[in-house]
This record gives sequence, structure tokens and C-alpha cells, in this order.
Amino acid sequence: MKRIGFSILAFLVLVGIVLTGCSSSGASGGSASSGGSGSSGKAQEMTFAQTSKVVGLSPTMTNDSVSQNVLNQIYETLFTRDPETMEIKPNLAKSYETPDDKTWVIHLNKGIKFSDGTPLNAEAVKYTFDKLRDPKTGAPRASLLSAVDSITTQDDLTVVIKTKKPYGPMLAALSHGNSAIISPTADKKQDLMKKPVGSGPFMLKEWVPGDHVTLVKNPDYWKGPAKLDKVTFKVVPDVNTEISMLQTGQVDFIENVPSEQWDRVQNLKGIKTTKKAGTAVSYLGFNLRREPMNNLEFRKAISYAIDRDAYVKQLNGLGTKSNSIIGPKIFGYDKSAESLGYDYDPEKAKQIIKENGWDGKQIDLLVANTAAYMQMGQIVQDQLKKVGINAKIRTMEWGTFLDVSKQDKFDMTFLGWSNSTADGSELLYPNLGGDNIGASNVVAFNNKKFNTLVDESRYTVDQDVRKEKLKKANELAIKQAPWVVMDHGVVTGAYKDDIEGIDILPTGDWFLYNVSRK
Amino acid sequence: MSALIIRRFIQMIFLLIGISFIVFISMHLAPGDPASIIGGPTATKADILGIRQRLGLDQPILVQYWNYLVGLLHGDFGVSFQTQRSVAAELFTRLPNTINLAIASVIVSVIIGIPAGIISALKQNSWLDVFSTTLSLGGISIPNFWLGAMLILVFAVHFQWLPVGGLDAPFWTLQGFKEMILPAITLGTGSAAMIARMGRSSMLEIIHSDFVRTARAKGVKERVVIWVHCLRNAMIPVITVIGLNFGFLLGGTIITEQVFAINGIGRLMIESIGSRDFPMVQGAVLLVAAIFVFVNLVVDIVYALIDPRINYD
Repeated sequence: MKRIGFSILAFLVLVGIVLTGCSSSGASGGSASSGGSGSSGKAQEMTFAQTSKVVGLSPTMTNDSVSQNVLNQIYETLFTRDPETMEIKPNLAKSYETPDDKTWVIHLNKGIKFSDGTPLNAEAVKYTFDKLRDPKTGAPRASLLSAVDSITTQDDLTVVIKTKKPYGPMLAALSHGNSAIISPTADKKQDLMKKPVGSGPFMLKEWVPGDHVTLVKNPDYWKGPAKLDKVTFKVVPDVNTEISMLQTGQVDFIENVPSEQWDRVQNLKGIKTTKKAGTAVSYLGFNLRREPMNNLEFRKAISYAIDRDAYVKQLNGLGTKSNSIIGPKIFGYDKSAESLGYDYDPEKAKQIIKENGWDGKQIDLLVANTAAYMQMGQIVQDQLKKVGINAKIRTMEWGTFLDVSKQDKFDMTFLGWSNSTADGSELLYPNLGGDNIGASNVVAFNNKKFNTLVDESRYTVDQDVRKEKLKKANELAIKQAPWVVMDHGVVTGAYKDDIEGIDILPTGDWFLYNVSRK
Repeated sequence: MSALIIRRFIQMIFLLIGISFIVFISMHLAPGDPASIIGGPTATKADILGIRQRLGLDQPILVQYWNYLVGLLHGDFGVSFQTQRSVAAELFTRLPNTINLAIASVIVSVIIGIPAGIISALKQNSWLDVFSTTLSLGGISIPNFWLGAMLILVFAVHFQWLPVGGLDAPFWTLQGFKEMILPAITLGTGSAAMIARMGRSSMLEIIHSDFVRTARAKGVKERVVIWVHCLRNAMIPVITVIGLNFGFLLGGTIITEQVFAINGIGRLMIESIGSRDFPMVQGAVLLVAAIFVFVNLVVDIVYALIDPRINYD
């Protein structure tokens, strides 16, 4: 009897667990299902699918593109980029002046409020930036404001930012999503990672971590309320599933369509697609700490050996070929760079390799195990084989790769840079600047003249001078070839054809303020 | 029985502490730095240093483990590196989805597996048997991600009878039921095949045993012989398989959750390993281990109920 009693008890416990599990699943999932109901064309609602989860909703504490998609709708930056020209224009700021080259006086628009009612004034800007650059915060992108010396408020609507040295990319840094302005009252009261409060056109309604985030429009938005009432950001980890969901109407909008799926997506009925040159760049990098990668002749030979036109061709139009390290959509680009560099010429490659006795040379090619890099790896391996270089691919999971690629543990590797500020200094300094060896400068490029040029481009506020310095630095880097530029990225999106107003910036950012459904 | 349960619970605590240690150390020894992943490729050296300090990763590893263990014994699973949310809260948002999915696929596997096993045992070497064994072999061999993708293409995209993915509606609603069908079939097929094979061999063994012959000799009806005498005895090893499978399904839902966009423990675990979110991985592994051990205990109890000869005292 006793035995059966216990058995029954054990069963009841199991059933109990299951039932509590089920009921909370109902609570968490119940309100999510309404998101995709916009197929009628009337409801101003939209569901967007992305392959990873939103990590957090504080612009200060995150640095990933998935969270940024949501942050862009909730928060705003002082400056923003024009989607077409990429030029920086005031947003929360009304105007700015630079009385000397180390001082930025920024005037804010009047009457802007955060969605919790807190006024967006000079004090809020100071609070945000002080928090972002405080080492105690441990902000992932604290470096955006590393040049700043002090921030003071002149009056309620005027902020004065003083830098240690004249700092050129200041406006680019201030238009970066991670320097969006947060509500000080809300930040002191709650964790913005979970309960965000910004001044943007949308506000958080519901968040089931790992599953979806739902935003509703901010009725008091200072530029007037958005057209969409509700937007759901849903996590769909598998791209195939994502596209199937777009096809059946379970989701309305996806981005970053992989090149091998581009044809399928373009042929879907009732789906519009958009693509545009982006700011991202992918490259084959040489570990310059090692022989023979530190030999310019070797790097030239590899450059000559790789047919980048053929590589770009198999990207289905989702990538452009360019010899320039600074891409066409980035500040500092100059067309003249295209004639530099070492274009495909396998005969020349063979000749250099023969002359230097590198024939049959074995190379350790480190490749992160994402689809795009694996593809690059196979193509490059094949092309190098044709000129007598034996590249051995070593694949690695992304987390490990990030660690290993920062150390002297490979011969050549592939990596990319998204460049969300779209400023040339923000590409050359982190990736090829001598200060960043052991971190983002994975190839350990360290060229005095280059470092000086990049520094001058950073520590000058005159944009014409900056452009000139970047042009020269870019030319120098192209000739020195620490990278073989594989392609400059293309941003893509696919959405239901009743959606209007979707405009993806070259940086991959997009804003839903003007989006609506007809 | 009560002694058994108490003994097993005490064992379970030590087992889980051991698991926590192994997972903790192996996560920390594995290459890959959480701070550089949070910072991403664009973070500078100083950025990464700042993040490491914030996460407490600059302390010696044993100090970190001790702090973790003390927290654990107080019921505190820690805070996720990535989302800065409580690990327990994150786990329990996802657990229901995974448990529902695991139960649904156990149901699918039992509905398919047991009849298939019985039929092929009763009609041994007939075409039905060959058909069912071949199908079982297929069921074990077909990878989940392929089966899932095919089911989506046929039933969700082509016919549009069922949704492509997501578990958004509560499972007791029609919509929730529809959402569960494809993932449950995808996940359940493999274990259905295992159950069928186990059911078949176990049934064959029983059918040819002495007591069945005696029953038949006594003139007991064939139906009674099969359903009462054989089935109950043949089910003992099958229940072990079902129980173990349930444990595996809880941990093994990863691919199915990935393909069908289900927000469950498996997906959380994969994401967290990818981002080196140590506290989250540790919490998820501990949870799955605890459930696994618990399910095994329940299987042992069910044994005793089915087979009175088994006595744990």
C-alpha cells in the first residue's frame, strides 16, 4: 500500500511539473500569435524575423546587430545618416558648432520627451555619454567616446563636448546606434536591458526572451506618431524556415538574405525585395607576424592568384568587387583607389612564387565555420592550388575563432567589418592601426606612415582634410596589401508587397517610422 | 519504495554538484572568451577588458566556481552574461516549450512505435513485418533537420495545412495543436523506430516463452493471450526505452527547436554555448540533468508497478 502511495505521489509531481509548464507556456505565447495577422492589408501591424535573439534593449550595454534592429525603433541618436547620401544630419540635435577644434557645442531640439515623460535635454545627453564612457559601466562600445575629455551642459538644451585632441569622427560616433540617448530617470529606476525607455517612435510592449519582442507606437512621439501600430520581432534561427514563413505569411519582413537563397526569395509571389551597396567589407588577411606573409611579394602573389570577380559572381549580386579597403559607401572612399591593388593575374602569381621558391608552400588558412566564410575558404583554397600554394583550411567555431584570430596562431584568415559608423577612420584605425594589434587588428599591420595618416584623419575636424588623409592611408594600405579585399557587402531585405517605406541603410540599419501597410 | 526515493534524491544532489563542477571547468577551459564575443569583432582591447571586469572573469577560476556553487546552494543560478537576466527566469520561460514538445513526441513515438512493434512481431517475416522494420530503420537513419525541412515544405508551404514554425498559441487550442504536429513528428520518428524495434524483439521473446504456450494450451483465447499475457510482459523493456528517450528528447530537441523556431531549452543551450554564456550553459545542463535523473526514477517506479517481482527494498 505504502509503495503504491509513493508511486502515485511521484506521478503527481511529474504531472504537476508538466501542467505548470503548460500553463505558463500559454501565458507567454498567448499574445504572440496576433502579430502575423496583417495579411488582411488593413491592420497596421508587421512581423519581422531575425535569426538570432535580442540580447538586451539598452543601447549602452549591447553591441549586436540583432538588438540594434529593435533599439533603432525605440531610441534616437543626436545625429543620423541620410539613407541615400550617407551624409550626417542632425536628428535629436538641432545644430552644432565647433568654436575650436577640441570643442563641440550641440544644440538640442526643443520639447522632446522620452516615452516615460522625462524631458530629453542637455542633462540627459550628459548622463548617457558619461555612463557610456565610464569604465565601471563596462560598455561594449565605450570606445566610441574614448576621445572625449569632458561633457558639460551650457543650458537646458546645449551640451558641450570637449575632446582630448581634435577628434574627426565625432559626428559619426554620435550617429552610431550605441550612442543613442537614454532616459536618466528610467535608467536610475530600472534595468534598461529589460525595460527600455527612449524617445523614439516605438515603445516596448512585450518581450518573451529568446522568442519575440513586440513594440507598439509611441503616441507622443515628437515628430508625430508612427504609421504602424504594432511591430513584432520574432526569432527564427533557421534561414530556410524564415523564408518559408515569409512565403506563407507568418512573417512579413526579413533581412540579410543569404546569396544562395536570393533567387528563391526573388521568385516568391507577393514578396518585394530590396538590395543596396553596404558598408561591410570581407577580406582575406595575412598574419604579418609570420614568414612569408610579412613579405610584400608573397602577399602580391596571393592577390594575383585570387579571382575576385569569380568570387563575387557566385554571390548572386550580393557583393561588389573593389580593390579599395575603404568601400564606396564609406567616408574617405575615392574612386582612384580602384586602379591600385593587385588584380587577378595567375601568371604573375606563378612567376613570383617560382622566383621566391614558394612552390608547394603549405599555408594554415583559419576559417570561421559560418557559411559565407567556409565558401570563401573553399574558393580561395582552390585558386591558390592553381598557382602552387597549398592552403590547408582549419575551421573553427565562431566563439573560438574570435579568440584565436586575435593571437599569432594562423597564417591567413577571413574576417569582415560591418562599419556601422560608415566612417573610414573607424575602419582603418581598429583594423589596421598599430594600437589595435592583439584585438581588432588581427593581421598585426603596423606601418608608421599609415598610423600617422590615420591618426591625422581622426584628430582633425576639417572634413576635407580628413578625406584627403583617409585617401592617402587607403592607398598606402592597398599597396601594402595586408588584406585581399574579397567583396564589399550588399544589404538585402524581402517583405510583403503591401508594405511601404522600408529603406535599409548601407550600414544595415533600418527605421520603421515611415513604414506602413496599404 | 520510500527508502529508494530518498536514497535517489540524495544521490541526485551529489551528482548535480559533480555535473556543475565538470560543466563549469570545461566551459572555462574551452577556447573562446565571453567578453570578446559580447564586444564582437568591433570591440577594442580596452572595451574587452572593461567587459571582463564587469563579468567577474578576472578572478581565479576556483574562486569563480566557489561563488557559483554557493549561489547554487542558495537556489541562485546566477545571471546571464549576455542578457543580464536571471538564468532561472530564462530557463523557466523556455522549459514549458521543451517539455510540451518532448511529451508530444513521446506520444507520437508511442502511437507509431508500439503498434508497429506488435504487428511485426505477430506477423513475423510477413510483408507487414518487412515494411515496418524497413520503416524503423529509415526512422532511425533520417536526420531530424532534413525530415523537419521536408515536412515544412510539404505540409506548411505547399499545402499550407499547418504553420511553418513557432509555438505561439497555448497547446490546448486548435492553433497550438496544429503548431505542435510537425515538430512532434520530426522529433518522435526516431524514437518511434527505436520503440518499434524494441517492442518487436521483446514481443517475439515473450510469444515463444513457456507461459504463453501454457496459456494457449489451456485454451485461452488468442486475443487474451496477446493483450493480457504477452503485452504486459513485453512492455517492460519498452518502457525503459520510452523513459530514456524522454530524457534524451529533453536534451535532444536542439535541432527540432532550431528548424521550427521553437523557443526551448535546446536552442537556449546552443545559443549560450556559442556566446560562451557560462552561467546559462551551466544552468541549462543542470536542469536537463536533473530532469533526466528524475525521469529515470519515475521509470524505476513504473517498473515496480508493472512487474510485481521487482522489489527495490
